[in-house]
Amino acid sequence: MSVFSLFNKKETSAGIAKDRLRIAISSDRNNTAYPFMTEMKADIIEVVRKYISASSVSISKETDGEVDTLGIEIIIPK
Amino acid sequence: MGIVYAIISGKGGVGKTTTAANLGIGIAQEGKKVALVDFDLGQRNLDLMLGLENRVIFDMVHVMDDEAGLKQALIKSKHNENLYLLAASQTKDKSVLVQEKVKKLITSLREEFDYVILDAPAGIESGFEHTIMYADATIVVVNPEVSSIRDADKAIGIVDAKCQRAKDNKPVQKFLVINRINPAMVTSGDMLDSKDILEILDIDLLGKIPEDKLIVESSNTGKPVILNEKSIAGAAYKRISKRLCGESVPFQDVELFISPSLMVKIKSLFQ
Repeated sequence: MSVFSLFNKKETSAGIAKDRLRIAISSDRNNTAYPFMTEMKADIIEVVRKYISASSVSISKETDGEVDTLGIEIIIPK
Repeated sequence: MGIVYAIISGKGGVGKTTTAANLGIGIAQEGKKVALVDFDLGQRNLDLMLGLENRVIFDMVHVMDDEAGLKQALIKSKHNENLYLLAASQTKDKSVLVQEKVKKLITSLREEFDYVILDAPAGIESGFEHTIMYADATIVVVNPEVSSIRDADKAIGIVDAKCQRAKDNKPVQKFLVINRINPAMVTSGDMLDSKDILEILDIDLLGKIPEDKLIVESSNTGKPVILNEKSIAGAAYKRISKRLCGESVPFQDVELFISPSLMVKIKSLFQ
């Protein structure tokens, strides 16, 4: 093996496939894990609006190990 | 009470029906009574794979609609007397599948057979959901290729979310079959290896099937490749069938490429 071959080490197409799949699948999983998200959001907005005049309601998702945390942010104008 | 397996893939054309036919025969060869059910309504093919296309009179929709009895509709395999096929309907559309009728059908099959194998349609539409709903476990078939793996992940997500066992808070078992592995390409880094695929999908490996030209011949003739003793894919299906019957068969690394000239070279030394 020459010194140059160390620098020229080409990434295999299987390696590229693995990296691309990881990213594509992690984004797919976020979108499909909670298919009811849109409906639930509409329901939450309805409930919130019954009590306060919120300008926006948003739901965010974070994954930490074995658990997903859904955060609901309600912005109230002063 | 028999065990019900659903065979799914997400993407079409990866070898789902071929896998169903081969495992059906493989498990039947182990002395178990097996029913294969084709859930691919409108695109019936399992009958062709088993060489039974001329024997279909009644199909699963006739049974579900009480137009035929289960015993009338089940077709005995030519290859193994323990194996029966319930064909998909070729004419009626998928809307005929109703939850209650599917449940009733699977319950009665479970009473009659040791193993019930449901061949799901490709995609993740309603026909797919009906197939996985009442299964005890799912066999996921993929090819070592990006679109197949991504679609399989999506299908697995639906199984986890929607099947009856998930609703009952019971564990949902999923087993992976990697089909059409080309060992030379894996060795050269031009094909995803099983370790990568397992890491991404995060389910248990049931078996690996090497690419095998005999598969085409077997579908041409309606004799699943497991019946051909020369076939390396057939041997892999045999190992999987034994595993499904509880026998702990060691995994053979079909991905390790043995150069065809190796033995020629070794033997040349004998002369």
